[in-house]
Amino acid sequence: MASKPSAWRQYKILLAKDLRREFHTKDMITSMGVYALLVLIIYGAALGQTSSSLDVLQMSGGLLWALFVLTSLLGLNRSFSYEREAAALDGILLVPMDRGAIFLAKATSNFLFMLVVEVIALPVFWFFFLANTGLPASMPYVAVPLLLGTIGMAGVGTLLSTITAATRGKDILLAVLFIPLIFPLLYACVTATTAVLVGSVDFMDAFFPSVALSAGYDVVMLLASWALYDFVISA
Amino acid sequence: MAKTKQPKLPEIGQWPDRLAPAAIIGALVLTTVGFLMAFFYAVPVNGAAVNGAELIGGSMVTSKLLLSQKIFYFHMPVAITSMVVMVFMAYYCIRYLTTREQRFDMCAKVCMEVALLFVIATMITGEMWTRFEWGVWWTWEPRLTTYLILTILVIAYFILRTAIDDPERRGVFAAVFGLISFLDVPITFMVTRIIPSSLHPVVMRESGMTLDMGLTVAVCAVGFLLLAFGLYRFRFRGQRLAERTQALKEALDE
Amino acid sequence: MTNAAITTSKLTKRFGDRKAVDAVSLEVPTGAFLSIFGPNGAGKTTLLRILSTAMHATEGSVQVAGFDVREQPDDVRAHIGLISHDPMLYPDLSALENLMVFAQLYGVPNPEQRCLDLLDAVGLKHRRLDVARTFSRGMTQRLSIARALIHDPEVVFLDEPYSGLDPHAVDVFDQLLASQREGRTFVMVSHDLQKGLQLCTHALVMAKGKVVSFQPKDAMDEAAFAEVYRQTVGAGVA
Repeated sequence: MASKPSAWRQYKILLAKDLRREFHTKDMITSMGVYALLVLIIYGAALGQTSSSLDVLQMSGGLLWALFVLTSLLGLNRSFSYEREAAALDGILLVPMDRGAIFLAKATSNFLFMLVVEVIALPVFWFFFLANTGLPASMPYVAVPLLLGTIGMAGVGTLLSTITAATRGKDILLAVLFIPLIFPLLYACVTATTAVLVGSVDFMDAFFPSVALSAGYDVVMLLASWALYDFVISA
Repeated sequence: MAKTKQPKLPEIGQWPDRLAPAAIIGALVLTTVGFLMAFFYAVPVNGAAVNGAELIGGSMVTSKLLLSQKIFYFHMPVAITSMVVMVFMAYYCIRYLTTREQRFDMCAKVCMEVALLFVIATMITGEMWTRFEWGVWWTWEPRLTTYLILTILVIAYFILRTAIDDPERRGVFAAVFGLISFLDVPITFMVTRIIPSSLHPVVMRESGMTLDMGLTVAVCAVGFLLLAFGLYRFRFRGQRLAERTQALKEALDE
Repeated sequence: MTNAAITTSKLTKRFGDRKAVDAVSLEVPTGAFLSIFGPNGAGKTTLLRILSTAMHATEGSVQVAGFDVREQPDDVRAHIGLISHDPMLYPDLSALENLMVFAQLYGVPNPEQRCLDLLDAVGLKHRRLDVARTFSRGMTQRLSIARALIHDPEVVFLDEPYSGLDPHAVDVFDQLLASQREGRTFVMVSHDLQKGLQLCTHALVMAKGKVVSFQPKDAMDEAAFAEVYRQTVGAGVA
């Protein structure tokens, strides 16, 4: 007779399933990566008339996060469409299991895919637009807003993509729900990232409150998403 | 096991319906009184009505600017009302998620409709304020930004509703989105308020209201709250009647 | 444990003012094969969704495999399987990987062996490393049977399992089903009256959410049943 595995074990099985699927098809990473590259090319045209790298530097945080949000949207849209494609999700829901494990597994896999793409896109962005400004000493701190922003986007995005995967016109709908909801996180992360990239001596003044607020957003929104997930996934 | 007892559902003909017409009349009276008070009772801030331009507190002030201060008496009550309506919206969302009664979903939706009205009114009055007080059409000031995000969230809520056919699923998704939007609003305000923006410093309005200002704001606020209640109830009534008509039609079809 | 695999009492599901399932009381004995008939919108699928813990009832109580679906949904889930017209599989994973995901999630002991045995039983062992996307509709449905039976459920729900299958695939499906009958209770929703009657031991006819007729097949007056079916579903019995 089967005995129910622990929620932690079920979380790992579900996460491994997503990673194995990605390993087979590679469609999340490639599509998100190519999309990121395309956005960078658009930036190339958009920034063609700026006279110096310093102009770009002031906007770099915003440009980077615009890139991250757009590629994340693409990944989030896909992450649930293949669960619904052959109703595999309905099969998963028939398994005795805490719904929180489904949320966390999906949020983790989304987080990982987003992070991989961001870690690739960031140096490319630097190479294209900021190569002759030199790395600021504060550069390592960029990991903090990157992680916090990606955690928040993955958490809220997982909840929302579960919703929109079951609706008509899901691609545009996800953007409509996602962008206003992550606005505060975006605002905070852009501020923190710009502060790091510009790297003035007092960058901590803007960096610290932004990072603290991003962390606060993550805690509140992840808890809310996790708590509300049971309703969404069972509907 | 036996189901817990049925929750009491909002329905046409309950006590709020009897209050609704009175609320609308009261709202009209109070907002009119508030309007008059704003112009004739509340003392102009910074002391005086000026003719032409004068230097007050280190900046050039015109009579137009002083009049713009009157917008405040409508802007703030409308903003308060929209927040109160949002609280009720969140309440009905929770009620829906716990009971799965379609009626609560309808209540939440009607709340959201009323909220949309007041949020847009807040945006318009806020926009007038920035134009006359600060001389710009738009600024990413915390309150304005928060209301812009709120407006988009409310509109997104309705877009979400139209994209789902199954009523139970629509109710659940809408309620979850309503709740999470509700949480997002204070966070947006805090984030835009606390994080310094390099271009637009946070504008600190002079806090503390004199008695006459407070009274005017209070009269307007009560007026707008009554208006919101009346609108909510009339809209609810209309929706509920339409639903009943639909049910009758379906019954006749069979 | 009682003798009944499924017991419902005064089961009601309301959507707004409309009752999709209206005071349905049933008792399905263990080992039975129940076919549910009825026109579109009769509440068949809603009933099945409530029995399989996918939806909460508004009123009334339901026991499946001895557990209450509201109070102990996880215990119910451990004892039920569902085969639907949707395969409920990951098209980008191989047949074996698909089964392994479910076997591990259910906590089946010795999962790998169990998966291989089931793949053998449904005749897909030679294709176990191929991705499910490359399978024909019939093969997918066979894999879907293996998925539903992976944890050896006592009660199996069938939701329009024949839709999209060609006649040969239907035959294979029937043989497989017959080989898995022992000790299990089946509940099937289907528009295929002949199939439903041929397989069932009990027949349930629903209309507008209510039970029109519920009886065991051996005690059934075929002519009377045909009349009931014609009146509610509006189609003749072939």
